[in-house]
Amino acid sequence: MTGDEQFKHEVLKLAGQEVLTCIQCGTCSASCPTANLMNPSIRKLIKLCLEGKKEEALHNETLWLCTSCLLCTVRCPRGIRPKAVVSALKDIAEREGQRGKDAAYEKFFLKQISDYGRIAELPLTGQFLLVFPQGVVQSMQMGLELVTKGKIGLETEKIKGRDEVKRIIEELRKA
Amino acid sequence: MKLAYYPGCVSQSTGKEMDASTRAVCSALGIELLELEDWNCCGATHVSNELVATGLAARNMAQTNLSIMTSCSICYSNLRAAAQRLEEPEVREKVNAVLDKKYSGAKIRHALDVILEALTEDDERIVVPLKELKVAPYYGCLLTRPAGQYSPQFPSILEELIRRLQAEPVDFRLKTACCGGPIFMPQEKAAEDIAFRILSEAKKAGSQVIVTVCPLCHLMLDAKQKVLEQKHGEKIGIPVLYVTQLAGIALGLGPEELGLLMNSVSPMAMMERAYERITEET
Repeated sequence: MTGDEQFKHEVLKLAGQEVLTCIQCGTCSASCPTANLMNPSIRKLIKLCLEGKKEEALHNETLWLCTSCLLCTVRCPRGIRPKAVVSALKDIAEREGQRGKDAAYEKFFLKQISDYGRIAELPLTGQFLLVFPQGVVQSMQMGLELVTKGKIGLETEKIKGRDEVKRIIEELRKA
Repeated sequence: MKLAYYPGCVSQSTGKEMDASTRAVCSALGIELLELEDWNCCGATHVSNELVATGLAARNMAQTNLSIMTSCSICYSNLRAAAQRLEEPEVREKVNAVLDKKYSGAKIRHALDVILEALTEDDERIVVPLKELKVAPYYGCLLTRPAGQYSPQFPSILEELIRRLQAEPVDFRLKTACCGGPIFMPQEKAAEDIAFRILSEAKKAGSQVIVTVCPLCHLMLDAKQKVLEQKHGEKIGIPVLYVTQLAGIALGLGPEELGLLMNSVSPMAMMERAYERITEET
């Protein structure tokens, strides 16, 4: 299998074989709340996967503009889950060590679940700001609002089953 | 009725009022909630590997034999989608291989559906009917998608509950549009533009309050409302309540119990008006 074929195979394994039946109708793009900011569009992204164009499919802002709203998924006339294609690409990008603020956010999120079992916004935001200091103004505005209302959890609660959670993440990612 | 309760991570931080009002309303309706033992994060919208997300959900679902209720649409959507995937023997086998307690099936419910079921038409426990209150039913995405029990584009259960509380649902054309929440940290501008459009539409539709079923929608529309007003130079000033808070007000519960003081846009004036109405009538 060539590298291109291997990539396509990996996407299909993660997002479902039905991706092969895409007719490029564009219903997904037309349903997407951030379509106006995407390049390539979600329709084109699926085409890139089917053509095995790994570099183009993995390195773009489109992946990180998906809000997971799933409107594409409930509307696709072929029963494809375009959001699952985005997730598959993110998963591959993260595993291959893609850098950048968006990939970093997802990585910290999973790391926190893995270490504590739960998410606490404060440490998550703190970690994120170290790689994306430009986000500090928005975070301060938000933080101030939430602190005033007593809605920031300062401590990250650790659950008892942390080892199990870690195992779920590590083992299932390989499966 | 006895249900297992999955509070979700936001119950400890940005969604404290969601958790407080859920517990208060269920208690008022005689629904006993047993918090899931040692629950973990469902992965929200940030765990890209589906099998991992399914495993995280399965660990929670394996802790009980009772139906599991949550107030968070993200948790609800994730648990339901996982339960659906776990019907495939291959997926169940892989997941159970890494779990301590094995998964053997689960029923997932949203608090919205539990509350609606508990209330009869003209229920006597509705001591503060919300007559003439114009409410925007805001579903957002994940209550209905992908594996929910309601129409993913034209749901009506929220309107049903609003009517049962004797308030008036407004015709809100963006009711199932996304709030932008999941990308608000790394993609601030894109997310904020989307959220502002929803607020602006709710205002045009004549809403006096927006009701949400998801803590991320709530964060975007309530906690960020002031910032969004400043950035767009337009006053909105509409309180955003969790569905459990709205139901709680109608059930006569107080601001403390419902966490109303934690809302950024104060709903107190709206609540006082509801109380004035009942004194005027009597």
